[in-house]
Amino acid sequence: MASFIQNQFERNVVTTSVDYVFNWARKSALWPLTFGLACCAIEMIASSTSRFDIARFGAEVFRPSPRQSDLMIVAGTVTLKMGPVLKRIWDQMPDPKWCISMGACSSVGGPFNTYGVLQGVDKIVPVDVYVTGCPPRPENLFYALLKLQDKIDQMTTLVKRPTEVRLDESMLENFKQQVRIAQINNPA
Amino acid sequence: MAAGANASLVKDGIQTLWVPREEVHEKLRGLKSEYRMLYDLTAIDERDRVHREGEPESDFTAVYHLYSFDRNEYIRIKTPLAESALSLDSITDIWPAADWYEREVWDMFGIQFSGHPHLQRILMPRTWVGHPLRKDHPARATEMGPFQLSEEKEEREQEALRFRPEEWGFERSHDDSDFIFLNLGPQHPGTHGVLRIVLQLDGEAIVHAVPEIGFHHRGAEKMGERQSWHTYIPYTDRVDYLGGVMNNLAYLTALEKLAGVPIPPRAQTIRVMLAELFRIISHLVWYGTFAQDLGQMSPVFYTFNDRERAFGIIEAVCGARMHPNWFRLGGVAQDLPRGWDKLFLDFIDYFPPKLAEYDREVLRNKIFQKRTKGVGVLTTEQAIEWGLTGPNLRACGLEWDFRKKQPYSGYENFEFDIPTGTHGDCYDRAVVRVEEMRQSLRIIEQCVRNMPEGPYKSLHPLATPPLKEHTMEDIETLITHFLGVSWGPVIPPGEALGAIEATKGNNGYYLVSDGSTVSYRTRIRTPSFAHMQALPLQVRGRMIPDLLAVLGAMDFVLADIDR
Repeated sequence: MASFIQNQFERNVVTTSVDYVFNWARKSALWPLTFGLACCAIEMIASSTSRFDIARFGAEVFRPSPRQSDLMIVAGTVTLKMGPVLKRIWDQMPDPKWCISMGACSSVGGPFNTYGVLQGVDKIVPVDVYVTGCPPRPENLFYALLKLQDKIDQMTTLVKRPTEVRLDESMLENFKQQVRIAQINNPA
Repeated sequence: MAAGANASLVKDGIQTLWVPREEVHEKLRGLKSEYRMLYDLTAIDERDRVHREGEPESDFTAVYHLYSFDRNEYIRIKTPLAESALSLDSITDIWPAADWYEREVWDMFGIQFSGHPHLQRILMPRTWVGHPLRKDHPARATEMGPFQLSEEKEEREQEALRFRPEEWGFERSHDDSDFIFLNLGPQHPGTHGVLRIVLQLDGEAIVHAVPEIGFHHRGAEKMGERQSWHTYIPYTDRVDYLGGVMNNLAYLTALEKLAGVPIPPRAQTIRVMLAELFRIISHLVWYGTFAQDLGQMSPVFYTFNDRERAFGIIEAVCGARMHPNWFRLGGVAQDLPRGWDKLFLDFIDYFPPKLAEYDREVLRNKIFQKRTKGVGVLTTEQAIEWGLTGPNLRACGLEWDFRKKQPYSGYENFEFDIPTGTHGDCYDRAVVRVEEMRQSLRIIEQCVRNMPEGPYKSLHPLATPPLKEHTMEDIETLITHFLGVSWGPVIPPGEALGAIEATKGNNGYYLVSDGSTVSYRTRIRTPSFAHMQALPLQVRGRMIPDLLAVLGAMDFVLADIDR
């Protein structure tokens, strides 16, 4: 029964249209979490002010509460003392959520390869887009934002991702058979 | 039995006394009548040091820096400590401001302070093992094994962050009512970064506030022991990250005392000009965000726009925005580009009308005045007692600016006024900073009009890297250039404190050289650390919105507190 339903939602006009609407809504109104950690935070603020104006990309609604936001811009150095706190905040954000690692520090530790600094925030939370720079210019952040929007465009809500392998019962039996053969020392 | 130090090692002319650990408490008590401010307290792990001619034997040395406003001079007290008896008498009974400094020395070096009311780790997490600034502690994250955050570990770390009122001697209730303990931060838009403040509340009134710092501790001091003298300059940019080249200047002021490198007048003037531009840039960020903290949405958009204009100049001169990394040992990285003076003069014309506009928008706004006048008041005595410097000190009415009192980098050649306040409240701090921007503009204009001709970097052999055209002429300079770039310059043994009037207050670098290509000990004395420690004093008995006004008016940067 399960395998019967699984194959019914292949790409068709209805599902792709629904996905299109969902993705369009999601990517056009990202609500970033106000999460400034270091120098990069100042450039993040600069990108929301009039010269650069992040509102052009629909991501100007900075929320102080993780419960109201769907994009975490990790802007700055994550120290080992801050790491668990950051993880807790990420867990508090509702799905679907994305993460931009802004700047060298949060991406790989940056210049601070020291005892107290986490060498890359991707050791704690999954990162969608990394931004280079120390600190990155606001234009750099916008490029990351556009990349993230491209990524959201590829998301599928109703149709399963083509990369996910779907197992049906015959495949499963076949696999078990192969394992059994492999475990026998001298197959007949 | 105070012995004078070997004069050959002290390169900054500060009187240095070695006092045994049994007597240091009494000695400091005696000095307090004269030297009223505890400027800095730190330590040195001496176990690997080679050049200590004439100094008493010690495994660790505690270093006290005091400052006298009457004499306008520093004094340095050093106390030798053996590894077997790593303890000192706490001086929190003499200076309450010693509290955080002693906690930091305990955290970083493991030196005990007997009589300290709350000797806990301050920068590292409580779960940390070891003392990072000891020579046997690993410096790099990559030396410490891969990082993993399991669920149990996360729980453990979170548990370590739990605030227990009993630990701090706080009552949970009084009379019939319970106190509320409110956690503010480390993720909070009003704290300007990763700062945590635990508030003990009686209704809405603040009974006590406990700032917790260390969420931004990046190990900048340890980094100094690893990078060459030259390649440490980019790290200084990131200490007070709003101050840009101002940090380079503080570091190089100390380093050039050690190296004995004279700075050509053109390089000095370029330094002053860029540092003052960065003072304006830093104050603009403060201006906008302070207004926003108090509920004004628009000013931040205007001030950041002006900041972008100033950054246009910085980009034209240095190529970068926030962290130009532009000053070098012996001068600056490059000469000014063609047409630089027009950029500056345009800005000098453009900016004053904007400041007048912000006066109307912010300073004269009735709500703004109601929120800031009489809030966070400190007297001059309190400010000195707690080590406040910069605009926060001047707002109390003391006309004290290190650019005037102890001129460096040629500040004695410029005409400018020192704005002061009278009440020492948040409003006066704002007024002082706004006026400082006007004075900075005056200094920049004098720089532009009187820019001296000549080289932008010293011809001294330790100037790093040497002027390029000279490397093409003689082999000696070419070799120096090669060594300076591949190994870094070798600085003669010694110690020096270089302190400047940075954007937020007195920023000092205390450097100890052991005659090698890297620093033996780099101590960064930052103004924000002292300012943050005085926070509870300013908010007791007030409301939470006042706390945000005080935080905004203090103008701190987390990297400047935690380093």
